[in-house]
Amino acid sequence: MSDEEHHFDNKADAGASKTYPQQAGTIRKNAYIVIKQRPCKVVEVSTSKTGKHGHAKCHFVGIDIFTGKKLEDIVPSSHNCDVPEVTRTDYQLIDISEDGFVSLLTENGDTKDDLRLPTDDQLNAQISTGFHDGKDLVVTVMSALGEEQICALKDIGPK
Amino acid sequence: MEQQDLQCSMQAVEQSCAALHVSDPGIRSSAEATLLAFRKSPHPFYACQYILENSQVATAKFLAAATIQEAAIREWTLISPEEKSRLRSYCLQYVMARVETSEGYILSKILSVVAALLKRGWLEYTQAEKASFLEEVEQAVAGRHGLAAQRFGISLLEALVSEFSLSTASPMGLPAEFHDKCRASLEAGYLQKFYAWAFDASVMVASKALEGQGENQESAICTVAIRLMTQILNWEFRGKLAVLGKSRASTLSSSPASRKSSEQLQLWHDLLVSPAKVTWILNFYEHIHQKGNAWLDLPLSVVVRQLIVLMCSLNGSIFPTDGAGTQEQHLQRLLNCIISWIDPPEYVISAVLAGTSERQTGTLSLLSSLTCGIIKASCVRESEEPSWTYEALEVLLETWTVILQPADLSQKVPLPPSGIEAASAVFQTFVEFEMKLSESSALDEDDADDMAAFSDEAREDRLSAVALIARTVPSVSLSLLTMLVSKCFSEIRQSLGSETTTRCLEQLHWLTILSGHVLADPGEGETPTVPESILAVSAEPATHPAVSLSFALIDVAQQSLDATFRTTLSPRMMEAIVWFFGRWVETYLMPDHAGRGPSSTPSGHEGQEVSVGVLFDGRNALNAAFGKDGGGPAVLEILVRVALTSLTAWRGEQVLQEYVSSRLLPALVRRRNVCVQLLSMGSWQELATVFARQDQMLLSLSDSVQRALSGCLCRSAQGLANADAANQLSRWYVKDLLMPMAASLAEFSGRKDLATFSQQPNVIHQVSCVLERLRGAARETIPRTQKAIFEVGVSIMKPLLVFMEIYKNQPSVVYLLLKYVVVWVDAEVVFLEPKDTTTVFNFCVQLLSVYSAHNIGKVSVSTSRSLQNEAQTEKYKDLRALLQLLTNLSSKDLFDFALHADENPDVAQVVYLGLNIITPLISADLLKYPKLCRQYFTLLMHMLEVYPEKVAKISPEGFSQILGTLEFGLRQQDVEVVNMTLSALGALGVFQYQALCKGDDGLGTQSRTSGGDDVLSHFLKLLMHFLLFEDYSNDLVEPAADALLPLILCNTALFEKLKQELVQRHQDVVSQERVSTAFHSLSKGIEITSTIDRSIRRKFRSNLFVFLNDLRGFLRTR
Repeated sequence: MSDEEHHFDNKADAGASKTYPQQAGTIRKNAYIVIKQRPCKVVEVSTSKTGKHGHAKCHFVGIDIFTGKKLEDIVPSSHNCDVPEVTRTDYQLIDISEDGFVSLLTENGDTKDDLRLPTDDQLNAQISTGFHDGKDLVVTVMSALGEEQICALKDIGPK
Repeated sequence: MEQQDLQCSMQAVEQSCAALHVSDPGIRSSAEATLLAFRKSPHPFYACQYILENSQVATAKFLAAATIQEAAIREWTLISPEEKSRLRSYCLQYVMARVETSEGYILSKILSVVAALLKRGWLEYTQAEKASFLEEVEQAVAGRHGLAAQRFGISLLEALVSEFSLSTASPMGLPAEFHDKCRASLEAGYLQKFYAWAFDASVMVASKALEGQGENQESAICTVAIRLMTQILNWEFRGKLAVLGKSRASTLSSSPASRKSSEQLQLWHDLLVSPAKVTWILNFYEHIHQKGNAWLDLPLSVVVRQLIVLMCSLNGSIFPTDGAGTQEQHLQRLLNCIISWIDPPEYVISAVLAGTSERQTGTLSLLSSLTCGIIKASCVRESEEPSWTYEALEVLLETWTVILQPADLSQKVPLPPSGIEAASAVFQTFVEFEMKLSESSALDEDDADDMAAFSDEAREDRLSAVALIARTVPSVSLSLLTMLVSKCFSEIRQSLGSETTTRCLEQLHWLTILSGHVLADPGEGETPTVPESILAVSAEPATHPAVSLSFALIDVAQQSLDATFRTTLSPRMMEAIVWFFGRWVETYLMPDHAGRGPSSTPSGHEGQEVSVGVLFDGRNALNAAFGKDGGGPAVLEILVRVALTSLTAWRGEQVLQEYVSSRLLPALVRRRNVCVQLLSMGSWQELATVFARQDQMLLSLSDSVQRALSGCLCRSAQGLANADAANQLSRWYVKDLLMPMAASLAEFSGRKDLATFSQQPNVIHQVSCVLERLRGAARETIPRTQKAIFEVGVSIMKPLLVFMEIYKNQPSVVYLLLKYVVVWVDAEVVFLEPKDTTTVFNFCVQLLSVYSAHNIGKVSVSTSRSLQNEAQTEKYKDLRALLQLLTNLSSKDLFDFALHADENPDVAQVVYLGLNIITPLISADLLKYPKLCRQYFTLLMHMLEVYPEKVAKISPEGFSQILGTLEFGLRQQDVEVVNMTLSALGALGVFQYQALCKGDDGLGTQSRTSGGDDVLSHFLKLLMHFLLFEDYSNDLVEPAADALLPLILCNTALFEKLKQELVQRHQDVVSQERVSTAFHSLSKGIEITSTIDRSIRRKFRSNLFVFLNDLRGFLRTR
C-alpha cells in the first residue's frame, strides 16, 4: 500500500490535473485544449469574424484523447482557453493480471498496478500476445486532467 | 468464319452490352471481361462487320466499330494491303448506305475509324493513292452526289483533321515522330484544300440553309462545313504558317521550301482575309441575326460566331508586312459589323442626338457607355447568382485592359480626348456603384467569402482592370478617391459606435483597397515603380493628387494608434490599412533613385522623360513628400508604430497580424536605405527589445507570425553601416536579438526538474515559440548575419538534443525542432568551414539517432480513427523533414567540390548513416504520400549515383530495405518516381559491373539476399518483365535502357536464359524466329568493354526502342 501512496505523491507533483491558460488565437491544429472539461486534441481550427467589422473568433474541433469523442467550441480569439497538461510516461510491463490490470515498473523501481489493459482490441491483443511470448514490452501511459490510459507500445526486444 | 459462329459472337456481345447496365457488380464485371476479350481477339473484322450489319443494339455496333479500329492498328503489320483497303471501303460504304438513318454517333465513330486507318497508313501510301481517294471526297463535298453525301464528306474531313491534330490523335502504338510527320504532311498539303472545299460548300447551301426554321438538311451541311472551318483555324500551325495566336512565325530560314510556303501563305491569305470572303461570312451572320432570337442559339449561329471570333484573332505572317495596314483593314471590317450587333438602340439614339455619328472615335465612347450601363444594371439585379451583368462586365473590363495595356507596349497609343472622358465616366460610375454596394453589405453577417477578399482572384482582376482605367485619368480618379476617403473618415470620427460607422468603415475599407490598386503595382519579386501616368502629373508637393491621397490614408493610420479611437475601428479596417501600406511602401517610401538628377539616369528612355521637364515635377513632389530627406522618416515612424500596435493591441486578430508580418514588415526591410532609417528609430528598437525579451505580448502571436517577425528583424541588419565594421555590427545586432532566447533554451534544458517542468503547457508554448523564431531568423539568413546565426545555432545544439529526448512524446515540438534544424542547415551549409562542418554533421547524426531510437518499432493505437490519422500524418511530416535534412547535408559536397577533399568530413558517410537510421522508419504505407515518396527517391538516386561504393558499407538490413523500396518504386504510378528508381538501379548496376571488370568485390556479400539469389539478377528479371508486359509511359524507355544495360552486362547468362524462356513460349517457328531476331537486334552493335560510355548507351537506347516496337505488341497480343 505504501508503494501506492508514494506513487500518488509522484503524480501530484507532476501536476497532471493542471491546466494552463493560453490565448485562443495561438492554439493550433494538433495542440491540446480543454473542451467541456475534457482534454482534447485539436483536429481542426477555423477563424471567422462576428460580422464584417467584428472581432475574430476561433472555432475548434477537438477529439477527446481518452474516449475519441468529437467536441466543438467557439471562443473569441483574444480570450484564453484552458490547455491541459498531457504527459506520456514509459513503463516496462511486468505483469498482466487475470482481471485485466497491468503491473508496470516505474523509473524508481516501484510498481504501478492501477491501470487496466487498453480498451482498444488491437493494442490489447498486441500487448497480451507480446507479453505471453516473453517479449520485453514498454508501454506508454498518457495522462491528463487526472485520467490515465495506455496509449502506445514498444517492443524493446528480448535482451 | 461460319454464319453460326458470327451469330454466336454477336449475341455474346449484345448480351454483354446489355449487362453493362445491370446493377449487380458480378454480372457487370463478367460482361466487361467478355467485351474486353472481344476487343482483344485476333482478327475480329468479320465478326465486327456482322454486328454492324445485323445487330439492333446500338452499343454493340459502336463497340464493333471501335474494335475494328483497335484491331486494325494492333495487327497492322500482319494484315495485307488488300485487306486494309477492303476495310476502309467497307466502312465508307457502310456510312453511305445509312447516311439517312438516325444513328449519327455510330456513323461518326465509323468515320473516325476510317480517319484512323488512313492515318496509320498515311506514310505508306503513294501520292497517287491519296490523291485519288481525296478526289472522291472532294466530289462528295462539292455536292455532286447529293446532299447526304455532301454532309458525310465534310464529316469525314472533320474526322480526318481531328485524327491528324496532335492533341486529338488516337494512340497508334507508334513513336510521337510518326504523329508529327502526319501532322506536317496534312498541314502542308491538304488543310488549305479542305478549308476551301468547306467554304465553297457552305456558300453553295447558304441560301437554302436560311430558309425554314434552320432544321433542314442544308443548314446541317452548313453547320458542319463551318465547324470544319473553325476546326482548321484552331489547328496548331507550326513554322511559317503560324496563322493563329501569338506570332511564332517567320523563323524558318530561306530554304527552297520557304518559297513554296510563301505561295501557300498567299493562298491562305486569299482564303481567310480577302474582303469578299470575310464579308460573305459577316453577311451570312447578319442574316441569321436578323432572323431573331430563336435563331441565335442554333448550332449554326454558334459555329458562325466562333468562326468570326477566330477571324478576329488571325495574326502572324498571314498578313503581308505592310505596317499592319492590311490587318487594320481586316479588323475594321470585322469591328464595324460586330459593333452593329452589340450596339443597343438607346445608345445609337443618344449618339445621334449628341451628333457623334463617326464610328472611328465612337468605339471608346460606346465602350464606356456600355460599361457604365452594365455597371448600373448590375446594381438592380445585385441579389442574383452570377448574373449576365457580371459576365458582361468581365468581358468589357478585359477589353479595356487590352486597349490600355497592349501586350506589346510599343503599340500603345495615347488615348484621344474622347477616350479620356470615357475612362473617367467608367471610373466614376464604378466607384459610385461599389460605394453603394459596400454601404448595403456592411452589416451582412455571412463573412466567409469576404475573409479571402484580397486574395480572391476574380476581385483582384477586376480591381486591377479598374485601376488601369483610373490611371489613365490620374487627376480625376485620385482626387475623387481622396475626397471620398476624407469624407468617410470624418464621418467615422463623428458618429461613434452606430451602425452608420460600420457602413462608413466598409466604404473606407473598400476605398483603401482600391487606392492601393490605383497607386501602386504589386511587387511580387520585382521592384515596382510609380505608374507613369501618376508621375506625369505635375503639381506642387502639397497638391499632387497621389500625395494627397497617400496622406489621407496616412492620417487614418496615424489615428488608429490612438487607444480610445482604436475602439471605433475594426480589425477588417486595419487589415486594409496594413495591406495598403505593404503595397505602397515599396513604391513610394524613400525610393532608391531619390534625388537622382537628369545626368545620372541610366537609360535613354528615362532621360527623355526628364528632358521633357514636366515629368520631373511629379517625381519632385513625391520625393518631397516621401523621400529620405523629405517626409519619409516621419511616415516610416508612423508605419512602424502601426505594425507594433497591430501586433500587440489587436489581440487575437490573426489575419491582421499575418498581414503585418508577411506584408508590411517585409516591405519595410526589403530595401537597404529604409533599413538604415529603421535601425536609427526608437520605435524599431522598441520592437526589437520586446521581441528579444520574449515578452508575453509577442509570445501570444501565432507560429507563422513569429517566424516572419523574427526574419524581418534579422533582415534589417542590412541597414547597418556599410563599412568593414558592418559585419561585426550585424553579428552583435543579431546576437542581441537571438541570444536571450537561446540562453533561455539552455537554461530550461539544464533544470533539475526538467522532466516535469518541460511538460507544462506554458513551457511547451514558449519553447515552440523560440524554435519558430529561430527558424524564421535562419530562413532569412543573409551573408552578414550568417556567422551570428551559426553561433546561435551551435550554442543550442546540446539543449536541442535534450529537448529531442524529453519531448519525444510531444510530436508537435519534435516537428518544430526538426524544421528549425532543416532550415538552419540549409542556410548555413554553403558557408561552413571544415571544422564547423564536422560539428554540424555530428549534431545531425545524433539528432537522427535520438529520433529513430524513439520511433522505431513504436505502435500507437488510439480509440479514434481521426486521431490515428493525425498521428500518421505527424510521422509523415517528421520524415519529410528528416529527408530534407539529409538532402541539405548532401548538397554540401556540391559546394565544396574541389575544396579540401581530405579535410572535409565525408558527406556520403553521414548521409548513409542517416539513411541507415531512417530507412527502417519509412514504411510502404508512408511512401504512398507522393511528396515523401519523391523526396525519398530523389535522395536515394542522388546517393546511389554519386556514392555507390558506400552501399557496400551500409548494414545488411538497411541495404535490403533500400532494395525493397527500389522494387516498390518501380511499381509506382508516378513517372518521375519510376524514372528516379531506374536511375538508381542503373547506378547500382554500373557500379557492380565495373567492380566485376576490375575483379573487385563490388557489392560483395550485400548482393546476395537471404535466399542466396543475386539481387541484381532479380532486378534484371523484374525490369524485363516490366518493359515487355506492363503499361508505362514512353518517356520511361530511355531511363529503362540505361538501367537495363548494366544489369544485362552483370549477368549475361541470366539474360540468355530469359531470352530462351521467351522463345520457348511460342510453338510455331515463325514466332520463335521473330523473338530471337528481336533479341538479336537488341544487342546489335553493343561492344562489351569495361566501361559503359555514352555512345554505347545511346546505341542501346535506340536498340531498345526497336526491340520493344517489334516485340511488345506482338507478345502482349498473343
